[in-house]
Amino acid sequence: MIAVLLLGCLVTTILPGAAVAHGGVVEEDDLCVIKVDYLRAHFKVYQPRVSGHQQFCEDLPVASESVFVMEYLHDALADMPIDFRIIRNITGKGRFARMEDVEQLEDLDHATVFYQPALAEPDVFTVVHDFAEEGDFIGIVSATHPGTKKVYAAVFPFEVGFTGIGYWPLFVAALVLLQLQYLFMSGRLKRWMGRWGGNASSLCLCALLLASADAVLADDDLRVTYTTPPGLPDINRMHSWILHVESADGVAIENATIDVTGGMPEHDHGLPTHPRVTEELGGGDYRLDGVRFHMRGYWEIEVAVTTEDGTSVVVIPLRL
Amino acid sequence: MSSALLKVCVALAVVAATVTWWQTRAAQVPAWTAAEIVILRSLTLESLPPLPPDPSNTVAANTKAAEFGRQLFFDSRLSATGGISCATCHQPGRHFTDGLRKAEALGTSMRNTPSIVGTAYSPWLYWDGRRDSQWAQALSPLEDPNEHGSSRIQIVSVIAADETYRQTYESLFGELGDVSGLNEVVLNTAFANVGKVLAAFERTLMPEASRFDDYVAEVVSGSKDDRTALFSDDEVSGLRLFIGKANCTQCHNGPMLTNNEFHNTGVLSSPGELPDKGRAGGVREVLADPFNCLGEYSDDPEHRCSELSFVRSGAELIGAFRTPSLRNVAGTAPYMHKGQLASLNEVLEHYNLAPDAMIGHNEAKPLKLNARELRQLEAFLMTLTSPITGNQSESM
Repeated sequence: MIAVLLLGCLVTTILPGAAVAHGGVVEEDDLCVIKVDYLRAHFKVYQPRVSGHQQFCEDLPVASESVFVMEYLHDALADMPIDFRIIRNITGKGRFARMEDVEQLEDLDHATVFYQPALAEPDVFTVVHDFAEEGDFIGIVSATHPGTKKVYAAVFPFEVGFTGIGYWPLFVAALVLLQLQYLFMSGRLKRWMGRWGGNASSLCLCALLLASADAVLADDDLRVTYTTPPGLPDINRMHSWILHVESADGVAIENATIDVTGGMPEHDHGLPTHPRVTEELGGGDYRLDGVRFHMRGYWEIEVAVTTEDGTSVVVIPLRL
Repeated sequence: MSSALLKVCVALAVVAATVTWWQTRAAQVPAWTAAEIVILRSLTLESLPPLPPDPSNTVAANTKAAEFGRQLFFDSRLSATGGISCATCHQPGRHFTDGLRKAEALGTSMRNTPSIVGTAYSPWLYWDGRRDSQWAQALSPLEDPNEHGSSRIQIVSVIAADETYRQTYESLFGELGDVSGLNEVVLNTAFANVGKVLAAFERTLMPEASRFDDYVAEVVSGSKDDRTALFSDDEVSGLRLFIGKANCTQCHNGPMLTNNEFHNTGVLSSPGELPDKGRAGGVREVLADPFNCLGEYSDDPEHRCSELSFVRSGAELIGAFRTPSLRNVAGTAPYMHKGQLASLNEVLEHYNLAPDAMIGHNEAKPLKLNARELRQLEAFLMTLTSPITGNQSESM
């Protein structure tokens, strides 16, 4: 049993080697993440001309047009000028090259094959480079804080012309399994495990991420009703709603701040517009302008009502 | 058994088999349900509301302005070289597109040439919605160095120097005066007026009824069964997929077969280019456009701009592009914002797979349709072809 467990651990540790990440790029929960100091971004590379939509973590199969994409997981990156440099890996440190190794290079420009000068990209950072030849490279990403001017950097060595690692991890794993079986049978494994003070299963568990469920907020204190002009709501028509807000015992709620968001849970998208309350009509009635839907199906409209007592959110289900 | 009797038996058997086959075949094309007929009707031009007014353009519905706009549309003097007109890319013979991946004028444009037919119904223009009216859109290519490469003063000077143009302009907007000494606001107003007459022409360009519209009219009238001569079995099946499990009407809805909204559908980047950020950039640009609905060149003193006032932004718009109308789609290849997909078949294959987007999030989900179903969908899309209304003649 322990041997099987260990094999599982080994296979899971070795097999992702096809996308093994190093330096500033790490794998987290099936995503490739670049850590620019404390700032994190989802990192992926495409070779659209040769492998379509296939994503790579950093090692690339062939010398071809390569699109590097950083999707910010930390909002601060959206305001930071970011520069992106690719150099030939002449550090002599191979895959273990670090920032200090790059800093020691005398002529960085000479080794540079691609340079994107600092650019603040509010949505997503992308660069495209057509690799002329295969080889070992280092990517260097620097982000400058617009206020403090502090520079945050990440360095990741990678290979172009990376052929993958084939079946050898399985072969190694099989050999290791045989060896473990021998050790287990001979009783040595038990002695080693005792000496480590840990156990193999904890090694495996460390790789598992526990998903946390979102808390579902229900509000029993508030009632929100809406009225629309005849024939509405319908799709593709801009229109207004009258929202009526009252407490559970029927008392109109006035002077509230109301924020309206919403979307189609089945399609992972929001409303096509940003509706706003433009007028309080009295008696708990509020005019909501800028409502439009662009698809038939199931919508949820979230009405957040803020009074001096706090904020309550009511979800209006709507099938168009 | 005599040979004559045998022949009769065989003949009867053949007739029986044929009748059975016919009945089975008919059963394969089930009748449209009442709910489906409601959806079908919503997609036909019969359901198209009247042209929405454009209070930002006082000459939008003016026939004289439309005729003036038609002349300007084909006039290549409105370009730096004298060789480019609106019709260079928006070719009437190609449903106002150009058949190229990306537009070619003075240079290569940023994106694929979208059709302008029916855009009077759209609150947003361009693939990324970076303009919010037909007239504001019409101005933009005139100054784009890769398109007309002209300038405001040059455009207004062409109008002033041509006696017929000048007279028509002044009858619509008042005296033009000496264009050499115009201050910025007056120059911009005259420039905006050029966009407004071009828009008046574009407003007349609408698709006529297609075979699809005629088919639905027959189904609705109930005069014939669902297997009319207008649609083949494959076209009926394609239409059923279109409003059903292929999810097409999520975005391609309404009589123009578009919701005019922005969606990320995970199309690959164009060769040698960065992935296009689409609406994420377009929304910033339309808000900053001096010729937008809220700007001083709008003719609406009340600035009724519900779309621009309630416009949304956010990460969902990264890599999102405006849903194009499917009317005349068979004649407007190549497809997508950079013309990445050469044929309808490639487009359908793309939606069938719905791969992860390079940037942002692909809203579409894999359809898992088989090859036959994709062919049927394509057969249906071919039924959306129709002539276009309005005078599209180049003659002056």
